[in-house]
Amino acid sequence: MSATTITTRPDARLSAPGIVRSEWIKLRSVRSTVWSYAIVVAASIGIAALLASTFGFGEQIPPAELHNGIIVQAATFGLYIGQLVVAVLGVLVISGEYSTGMIRSTLTAVPTRLPALAAKAVVLFVSTFVVGLVSVFGALLLALPILAGYGIEADFGDGALLGNLVLAALYLGLVSLFALGLGTILRSSAGGIAATLGVILLLPTIISAVIGITQAQWAMDISPYMFATAGTGIFSPGGPLSQGENLLVVLAWVAVSLVGGALLLKRRDA
Amino acid sequence: MIQAEGLTKRYGDKTAVNDISFTVKPGMVTGFLGPNGAGKSTTMRMIVGLDRPSEGSVTVNGKPYAAHHAPLREVGALLDAKAIHTGRSAYNHLLAMGATHGIGKARVNEVIGLTGLESVAGKRVGGFSLGMGQRLGIAAALLGDPATLILDEPVNGLDPEGVMWVRQLARHLASEGRTIFLSSHLMSEMALTADHLIVLGRGRIIADAPVADILATSTRTAVKLRSPRADQLAQLLQGADVTITTTEHDALTITGLTAPVIGEAAAQAGIALHELTPVGASLEEAYMELTQDDVEYHAGTTPTITEEAAR
Repeated sequence: MSATTITTRPDARLSAPGIVRSEWIKLRSVRSTVWSYAIVVAASIGIAALLASTFGFGEQIPPAELHNGIIVQAATFGLYIGQLVVAVLGVLVISGEYSTGMIRSTLTAVPTRLPALAAKAVVLFVSTFVVGLVSVFGALLLALPILAGYGIEADFGDGALLGNLVLAALYLGLVSLFALGLGTILRSSAGGIAATLGVILLLPTIISAVIGITQAQWAMDISPYMFATAGTGIFSPGGPLSQGENLLVVLAWVAVSLVGGALLLKRRDA
Repeated sequence: MIQAEGLTKRYGDKTAVNDISFTVKPGMVTGFLGPNGAGKSTTMRMIVGLDRPSEGSVTVNGKPYAAHHAPLREVGALLDAKAIHTGRSAYNHLLAMGATHGIGKARVNEVIGLTGLESVAGKRVGGFSLGMGQRLGIAAALLGDPATLILDEPVNGLDPEGVMWVRQLARHLASEGRTIFLSSHLMSEMALTADHLIVLGRGRIIADAPVADILATSTRTAVKLRSPRADQLAQLLQGADVTITTTEHDALTITGLTAPVIGEAAAQAGIALHELTPVGASLEEAYMELTQDDVEYHAGTTPTITEEAAR
């Protein structure tokens, strides 16, 4: 407890890898992260098992060209829940710092500010992508033998099956980035979560309701560009946009959210 | 070394800090004093770049804080004991803070030891008392072994042992040639810790001087005396700049004359003295005198010092 001499550390300096490591320590050292990712994996695998075993094909085996689509659907269906959990986590990564005051410690250590947000984005994206991979491939491993029982066999020949599963994990990572941006803009857990889930869940529902009631052409035109609609289109082909176009749409959403957050973070008092 | 030049911060039409310039020098403890709402915390946040000045500028060791390559080595700041994520352990908080600068486990354990947090380092910060939160904040400020230390109300919530420890730590670090800038609304604490004082009132500097000078300028330096012939003595000592108050039938309090002058006068007149005591103004009184017109929140006629509310 006495004031002992403090040794000097002339080598210490702010660096990009250091900031990334710092954000990684922060992400892994709160319980919400562990819980969120556990739920994503559990939901993915659980729902895949449920879905695969309850597909009602009866006596008729679907034609072979549909098999891969059915398998992707089974392996990624859990992500509909997973994306909501990841959205909440993405908001909390930054809003939790605002609600606790931690942001002032963060920005004192990284006074140029933007590297801290960039590091958060990198760490969150990579972690969520990896969790997404574990989820969909875990779900795949579980669903394959069950589906094989119905005579549905995977065709790994052209790589499209595995590619789509990787794209699904990529989408999950992009959801976390979109949420991080909104959390940075709104600086509040409640507001950030409401806004993110509103965009992901509510917006497509509202648009379809508008289409159903008014048949409005503008609503039909913008419908494919909604975040979650384009997002699921990244890994399940067949919609009005190509997979590449869907990816670009989602990237645009993410860019608007993150750039908006970055501009405000740089400008505002903390 | 901290240098502020015409530093101003406005929130809407309210001016929190109004065109202040000051220098905090290395090798001593500089106290930053003022009633709540005077602008101390705002000034400190501007120093480390958390708040952007409306006008003016402030540099630390010759550069704006954000321009340094290793900010945590230049300045360690305790701005708010609660600036810590409640869901993370103290150890992980320090580890994450240090990681930005490549400061590793060895140093983290060192500051944990230095601040006496060994037994709670693995616990989540949400369960910490105010005092433990302060210690953790100080530990974080010490992480980079900084040349300048900024502590906003560091003894808030500490037990007497902790208060003594902060005082010794501040004095020790200053003796190593570091710049120590310490805010408080408690004058008595400053009297024991600081060498130099910057007193802030309503966003303006109302004093910037060594502690001894601030004490000396107080008009309340008085002499107390007791004598069976106090009335006679009072008549004898009357003068233009002299104030004499009768406190009891045989006791006087005199300002404007020194004890030797009074003693000599009494001896020449053959008046016996039973007591002759110079009463130095306490720093507290000097502070009250300085800030009496600058306290933002008055309770009735008494200037009050309350817990810091909304910033």
